[in-house]
Amino acid sequence: MLVGCSSVYKNLQPATGDINYIGKFRPDFRLALYKTEVDVVGHHLSGLLLIKTLPDSSVRIVFSNEVGFKFFDFEFRPDGGFKVYYVVKQMDKKPVIKTLKKDFELIMLREQDIRNGYLGKDDHALYYIIKRPKGFFCYVTDKEGTELERMEISSPRKPIVQAIMRNYKNGVPDTIGITHKNFSFAIALKRIER
Amino acid sequence: MHKTILFLLITISSYTLKGQTTGYTPVANLAKFTEQFATIAQKTETIKSDFLQEKNLSMLSEKISSRGKFWFKKENMLRMEYEKPYEYLMILNKDNMYIKDGKKESRVSVKSNKIFQQINKIIVGCVQGAVFNNPDFKMNAYENKGVYMVELVPVAKVLKEFFKNIDITIDKKDYSVTTIVMNENSGDNTTLHFTNRELNTPIPDALFAVK
Repeated sequence: MLVGCSSVYKNLQPATGDINYIGKFRPDFRLALYKTEVDVVGHHLSGLLLIKTLPDSSVRIVFSNEVGFKFFDFEFRPDGGFKVYYVVKQMDKKPVIKTLKKDFELIMLREQDIRNGYLGKDDHALYYIIKRPKGFFCYVTDKEGTELERMEISSPRKPIVQAIMRNYKNGVPDTIGITHKNFSFAIALKRIER
Repeated sequence: MHKTILFLLITISSYTLKGQTTGYTPVANLAKFTEQFATIAQKTETIKSDFLQEKNLSMLSEKISSRGKFWFKKENMLRMEYEKPYEYLMILNKDNMYIKDGKKESRVSVKSNKIFQQINKIIVGCVQGAVFNNPDFKMNAYENKGVYMVELVPVAKVLKEFFKNIDITIDKKDYSVTTIVMNENSGDNTTLHFTNRELNTPIPDALFAVK
C-alpha cells in the first residue's frame, strides 16, 4: 500500500500504530519569539519571527527585521484557512508565499493535516506520512517514537524540504531549521527568551 | 541582499515619532522652530544615547522590545548596537553601511542606490534637523507645554509604501529628539525612545569603522 501511495517512500515497510501519536511533537506556539536567519540564493536576511496563537486558535506568524521593519504577517486558521495580512512588495509573489506557507504548515503539525496520514518504517525509524495535494508531509521519528528526527516535504518523487525541531522547552522548540533541497533556501530559528 | 539592507535602512530611517495631536496645537512660528532646531543641531558634534525600541503589533496586542546603544557623529556617522534580547549591529558611515548579525557581516554602498541616498539623508537629517527641509516629506509641527511633535508624512512613493507617517518628539528644553515613531499603514508601529543622552562627548571614529 505504501508503495502504491508514494514512490518517495516506496522502500518503507507498513507499520501499525496511531497516526495521531505524532501530534505529541506539535509545538505549543502560544507565544514564541525567534531570532531568525534566512539564506536565499546567496542573500542573507535576518530578523525576528513572532508566533502567536490567538483566542480563536488561529496562529499568526509575523516576520520583521531587527529594526522593526515588517516583512510579512500570515494567519493560519484552525479550519485550515490561510490569510496574508501583510507582505512586503518585494516578497509579494505567489511562489514565495506558497513556499513559506507550506514550510510553516510542516512545522506546525496541524491536527487536520495529520488526520489522514499513515505509518511506515524501516530498520531505523518510523515515518508518519501525510498525503498532500501535490506530495507529502513526512515526520520521521526514532523506532520508539520518542524523538522527532526530522520532517520532510516531499514531491511524489523525492524530499524537497527537510526540517528539524530541537530542544523543546514547555512544548516549544528552542531551535527550528528548514532547508530546501531543490533551491538554495534555508531558514534557521533560535528562540529568544524575552 | 541589497533589498534586505534597503529594508533595514528604511526601517532605521523610520525613527518615527509617533504621537497624536491630542493636547497639541500647531506650532505658531514654524520658521523659528526649524531655525532653532537647526541651530542646536549645528552645534551637535556627537550624540551618545541608550535606546529602547518597541515594535507594536496592533492586531496581535503584542510588543517586541529591544534595547541598545546609539552613537552619532558629525557629519554622517551612525552606529546602533542592539544588545537585548538579541545582538545586532548596524553602522552607517557616510556612503557605506555595515551590518553584523551574529557571525554574518554585510556591507553595502549607500551611493549605489538612489533610495539609499534618500534614506541616508533622512536618518542623518533626523538627527541634524535637515529632515525638516526634505521635500520627500510633508511636515506638520505641533507643540504642547513641554515638547514639539513633528509629523512627517511621506510624499515619495517608495516611502509611502512603508510608512503612513513618522512622528518625532522633541524636548523643548534642549531640542533633543526623545522619541521617534514609525507608523505603518497596517496600524503597527515601531517606536524608538532615546534616554541617557550625552551631547558632544568625544567618540572615536573607530566606532564607526566599516571594516
